[in-house]
Amino acid sequence: MCPRPPMWEEMVVGTDPGLIEIAGLKKTFGTVRAVDDLSFTVPSGTVTGFLGPNGAGKTTTLRCLLGLVTPTSGTATIGGVPYARLPHPSATVGAMLEAASFHPGRSGRDHLRVYCTINGFPDSRADEVLGLVGLTGPGKDRVAGYSMGMRQRLGLAAALLGDPRVLILDEPANGLDPEGIAWLRGFLRKMADEGRTVLVSSHVLSEVEQTVDNVVIISRGSLVRQGTIAELADSHGTAVLVRGPEMPRLAAALPEHVTATESAGGLRIVGSSTDEIGHVAFTERIELSELAAERSDLEDIFLALTVDGGQR
Amino acid sequence: MTRLLLGELRKLRTTRLWLWMLIGACAVTAIFLSFLIPLDGAEGNPNPPLSTVEGQRALFSSAGAANVFVLILGIIAVTGEFRHQTVTPTFLATPHRGRVVISKLVTYLLVGAVYGIVVMALALAIAAVWFSAKGIDLAGEALPGAIGAIVLSMAVYAVLGVGVGALVRNQIAAVVGALVYLNVVEAFLGVLPGVKDVYPYLPGGANAALIDTGQPGVQDLALLEPWQGGLLLVGYGVVFSVVGSWLAVRRDIT
Repeated sequence: MCPRPPMWEEMVVGTDPGLIEIAGLKKTFGTVRAVDDLSFTVPSGTVTGFLGPNGAGKTTTLRCLLGLVTPTSGTATIGGVPYARLPHPSATVGAMLEAASFHPGRSGRDHLRVYCTINGFPDSRADEVLGLVGLTGPGKDRVAGYSMGMRQRLGLAAALLGDPRVLILDEPANGLDPEGIAWLRGFLRKMADEGRTVLVSSHVLSEVEQTVDNVVIISRGSLVRQGTIAELADSHGTAVLVRGPEMPRLAAALPEHVTATESAGGLRIVGSSTDEIGHVAFTERIELSELAAERSDLEDIFLALTVDGGQR
Repeated sequence: MTRLLLGELRKLRTTRLWLWMLIGACAVTAIFLSFLIPLDGAEGNPNPPLSTVEGQRALFSSAGAANVFVLILGIIAVTGEFRHQTVTPTFLATPHRGRVVISKLVTYLLVGAVYGIVVMALALAIAAVWFSAKGIDLAGEALPGAIGAIVLSMAVYAVLGVGVGALVRNQIAAVVGALVYLNVVEAFLGVLPGVKDVYPYLPGGANAALIDTGQPGVQDLALLEPWQGGLLLVGYGVVFSVVGSWLAVRRDIT
């Protein structure tokens, strides 16, 4: 297991220069409410998954945070300061928004060098970040010939150019092959362990499930749930699965506060624990061939939380 | 601001567009001169003979047609950022959007001037070869004014392009719109009774005054003085850019 990240409560607003804070954020495009009164925080030293189905308002939220979109109301700050007022934005925040933000006729290396010039970083920094993302060789080729995965890596390289304390990545796993996703996981973990803030959006929970410490789940522009992955799993209630030759006897012997339903040749018991069921079976001398806690599929929880528009 | 200017230059240097536009500008200049010089003294040619100062001025002014290439270069400097979504990293690096537009204006003023110098050097080289073959002397007093006017016109057209691009972010709409306006709409306005008095104050009319040549068919119009035309043209570029960047500051980048 990775080192335990600081708890949300331990982080005091204003003392963490890498703290991302979204407060009462609203953005309407015409009549469409893209983001509706959204509030959450992301502390330093953690990887936070920003999850929601396509169209939930993730990208709009990130663009508000980066000063590219003006919120209708509310604030989005980094270390208490709006992005546009940061003294050195590129050295503070690294962002990767869409994979296609390159001129196809320019080489990946030249793309990075343009921003080295503008930000006052040495040109050698372009080669360093190309090395970090594994693009040293192809960096000299024109972007037009890059695969989707290579563009994602180049986007990540651009985000890393200023060695930022805050990383904001919009769907970075899109277009990556399984090997690339595994690499990305390790990379984000390393970034957070170095004390950086990492906010990574995705519409597929399983893509980030193994990497993130915390999740912020939104649907239709509103917050559905914020917490750790473990809290998310617990919140959904757990069930115990049992199988054996004497299931009717077991059902009769169960305490009153649990409910048992027949399931695949056994019982699915909600409101109890494997400890309690095992104890009941032992005292009643009921033979069991299987006793297991049902593994909550996080993807199912995620779908349940988001599919009905966040109504709990 | 220096870093922004160098960054803009680097953007320009690292794609091939600058080369194609330079080739285009040089090709137009070479073609115009190579057509006009042999026609010297031919029947029905309204231009003054090349042996006169006026004739040589008119000849070099024809190189002004190359300014459409720097106009397009300036337009694409802005619209290309939106087309390829590089505007996102650009505004992330420089959240003060007005500074981005200002750095493009200054960069392209210089780039346009450099294109103008290259084009005029080419024009002089072509003229020198033809003139020596025809036994005509280059008229020294015609050159500084003509060269200065073309270089200034190219510099200002590049600025005008940046302004148009900031105003109309769609690349095709901006390029086609600007070309159609300058070559069709203004030519039409220039001959339309009632409207044609306005022509000298339009961008094309101001440019015609600056490089001291008339639009075809509108030679009878009273154009502004060259310096007035130049100032007016700069004014158009700045106004477009100010309005464009004023809008850009408010627009969401999605």
